[in-house]
Amino acid sequence: MLAKIMQHEWLNLRADRTLWLVGGLFAVVIAYGIFNGTAWVRFQQTTLQAAAQDERERYAELKEETAGIAAGTRQPGKWTDPRSPAVVSARRGARYAMMPPTALAALSVGQSDLYPYYFQVSRSSKQTFINNEEIENPTNLLAGKFDLAFVMIYLYPLLILALSYNLLSQEKEQGTLAMMMAQPVALKTFVFGKIGLRAALILVLAIGLSLLGFLFSGVNLLAEGALGRLLLWIGVVALYGAFWFALAVVVNAFGKSSATNAITLAGLWLLFVLLVPSLVNVAVTTLAPVPSRVEMIQATRRASAEATTKGSQLLAKYFEDHPELVPANGQPDMNDFYTKFIAVQTETERLVQPVLAQFDQQLAKQQTLINTLRFLSPAIVTQAVLNDIAGTSHARYQHFLSLVDRFHAAWQQYFNPRILKQTQLTASEFDQVPQFSFAEESVGTIAQRALLGLLGLLIPVALIGWFGVQRLRRFPLAG
Amino acid sequence: MIIRIARKEFTEMWRDGRFRLAALIVFSLLLVSLLTGWKHYRAVKTQHELAQAETRDQWLNQGTKSPHSAAHYGVYAFKPKLPLSLADRGVDNYVGQSVWLEAHKQNQFQYRPAQDATAVARFGELTAATVLQLLLPLLIVLLSFAAFAGEREDGTLRQLLSLGVKKSDLVLGKAAGVTGALGLLLVPATIIGVIALALAAESGSFAQSLPRLALMILSYLLYFGAFIGVALLVSARASSARVALVVLLGFWILNGLIAPRAASDLARRLYPTPSSFAFAQAMHHDIEKGLDGHNPQDQRAEQFKQAVFKKYGVTKEEDLPVSFAGLSLQQGEEEGNQVYDKHYAQLWDAFQQQNRWQQGASIAAPLLAIRSLSMGLAGTDFAQHRSFAESAEQYRRYFIKEVNGYMAVNAKGKDFGFMAGNEAWQKVAAFAYAAPPTGAVLRAQSLSLTLLALWFVLAMGGAIFAANRMKL
Repeated sequence: MLAKIMQHEWLNLRADRTLWLVGGLFAVVIAYGIFNGTAWVRFQQTTLQAAAQDERERYAELKEETAGIAAGTRQPGKWTDPRSPAVVSARRGARYAMMPPTALAALSVGQSDLYPYYFQVSRSSKQTFINNEEIENPTNLLAGKFDLAFVMIYLYPLLILALSYNLLSQEKEQGTLAMMMAQPVALKTFVFGKIGLRAALILVLAIGLSLLGFLFSGVNLLAEGALGRLLLWIGVVALYGAFWFALAVVVNAFGKSSATNAITLAGLWLLFVLLVPSLVNVAVTTLAPVPSRVEMIQATRRASAEATTKGSQLLAKYFEDHPELVPANGQPDMNDFYTKFIAVQTETERLVQPVLAQFDQQLAKQQTLINTLRFLSPAIVTQAVLNDIAGTSHARYQHFLSLVDRFHAAWQQYFNPRILKQTQLTASEFDQVPQFSFAEESVGTIAQRALLGLLGLLIPVALIGWFGVQRLRRFPLAG
Repeated sequence: MIIRIARKEFTEMWRDGRFRLAALIVFSLLLVSLLTGWKHYRAVKTQHELAQAETRDQWLNQGTKSPHSAAHYGVYAFKPKLPLSLADRGVDNYVGQSVWLEAHKQNQFQYRPAQDATAVARFGELTAATVLQLLLPLLIVLLSFAAFAGEREDGTLRQLLSLGVKKSDLVLGKAAGVTGALGLLLVPATIIGVIALALAAESGSFAQSLPRLALMILSYLLYFGAFIGVALLVSARASSARVALVVLLGFWILNGLIAPRAASDLARRLYPTPSSFAFAQAMHHDIEKGLDGHNPQDQRAEQFKQAVFKKYGVTKEEDLPVSFAGLSLQQGEEEGNQVYDKHYAQLWDAFQQQNRWQQGASIAAPLLAIRSLSMGLAGTDFAQHRSFAESAEQYRRYFIKEVNGYMAVNAKGKDFGFMAGNEAWQKVAAFAYAAPPTGAVLRAQSLSLTLLALWFVLAMGGAIFAANRMKL
């Protein structure tokens, strides 16, 4: 019976202009979304390649110059001596820490247009290199990018609602419902058939078109972890779609007119996709306000001024604590620019630490709040899962930052003793200078975060679906 | 006649429970957004004022040091907010809050508030502007989709016209009815908004905000009028109320969701901007090799030295009556400034071309026009951010020049070994910024305003035209 209903429904839909119009539009926006996402990924990759190239060139130059100095053909400059660890660990030999886009990054631009994706790590404090976000017109950032995630979160529900807002109301208005129900078929089966066919059509359209888009745009689905991410993606698209289908069934089950159904569903869409997220945002910023960055800038400045005035004292204490770092040629030079710099910087970082920690703590609190409040709207849940899958989430950025912190510490650990002991680097040592390598989050970690989100979709779908079925029993066939 | 129709429409809407519910929701959201906007404005304003005072204090009391170290220490500039920004935060969350003004470099603004927010903020912030630009049009659609199409289905349209009512009167009457219903929520909301503005602003800045506020109200009225016109037009043309509703919802989606993103994507493609990496490299290149690419830094330094020697008629640095370090530092600044002027102007011009293009694209979606106008008047658009950034940069050049000049005159023979005290830092005036006058903002927004007015006229005219020709 179900198969027959679906078959008949297919004939009906095929004859209707709406399906082709809406389906065609959907194909266009999916293609455009993927195209845009891919363009952004390419832009990032090109930038990372240019940065890597810059690093290679600087190291080749350092080696060449060092060899030249050893051979006596070149003279070292006072502030640019390639053998000086202080010079190399600053601009000349600074290495890039990079977070390359994932295989599925084109899916969702997410927060990646706001966060930096590479840093030039040097011996200077983190504050000097951490603000490396991409240049962008703020008007464009405000609007957001037209990517596949936008299509899925905002437009995909509208497509579903456009095809199912008058699921029963139309049959009733045309008088075909009563005729249909005169046949030996349950209303429930009838609705399942209608919804089932639409769901199958839309899912095939959404997932099939996106897959085609990925293949055409050169996404490597064989890359490590790509398949796992892809499965998660299919899961979230299917469940998010199921949520809107379930809502359409419930609204139709009340037996109101098509126009009323359209208004009600548009209202629900507005509620879940626009209103709840913006109210959640208000709640989060009110309950866990981030301390002011302006205040942080001032605190950093106070700390560095304090450390600078104590400069020589700090240096003496530093050598007291680290006698092994006293240069081989005798007494530490209290006026040496670099040694003093390190002492002052270490102290500044120590003083600023509590302020920065307060920031991290408050940002983490916001994130925890969001993790709970997101279940109020399937749109927020879906956004979070899509960003996680694409690797454009806050979580992956945090992961990157922690790797950068570790690398920065390793960098200082490698160079600071050499600077303080005033040793000179040799040409062969350049290859041993620490290098950053980005360790991707494991698919397991991502799946763990994403599965909770999927559960946050599955439970409402089940509840609403169950309610819809209950309501259908009381469906007013006549009148 | 028009008044009578309007009154009937108004009464009908008022009796409709759906309208009352929707209006109540929109009104509450407006209230919440004005409240949070007000709180946000107060907090940011206090922070920025305190920080600006503190950074000045730090500058004045930095103690004994080399003038060049003082120039490196520099000051911070924090962008002041206009009181009207409580209604529209514009791009403020997506531009840095402050910039460090120091020797040698024109820095970028740092700390975009959006970086400290969660991904949920990307759904859009709840501000009075978003409520007015997105939700109110939806309310208009709900109020007017059935205006003609519904009456036609009920058969009342034929009756009405048989009474000899002019069709254009009918359109104007219905438009007036919708306006009256919207007035029920907009008038109190505006009064509350003005009170919030008065509480937020000191008396002087409140008076200055009034012309901007009046223009803002006018712009929003044009926008709503355009929407009412479109809704009546569609309702007159549509075969049924259901079709009218679906078409209008489609227009709303196109206007509010698709247009802003598509327009910014296209603008970006038409006027591409470099990556920050390429931008920094290009500036670095020009500073090292000279703007013409054939004049490396060391050659320029040598040329400058010879020119200075010639000017003072000496052959050795020691014989100069001034500190050569002070002069050459300033020369380095002048050369750098030319490079920064070139590159930042190119970048910011590209941004403004992108924005201008988006204003032009409002021919397809009125939201783009009102968005641009609204944030322009609230002082939160990119153009006014640029105005602040340029003013801060001018101040940077001014105080660096002062400090280098002080060094040139006083540091003879000691150069970088010369130490100056607080009396030197006091010679530098404090940074002061005045937002561009309303006239300038209006000129920058003339395209949006024109297109919005055009939307209003065409939509209303179109509605009357469609009503005159509608089938019964």
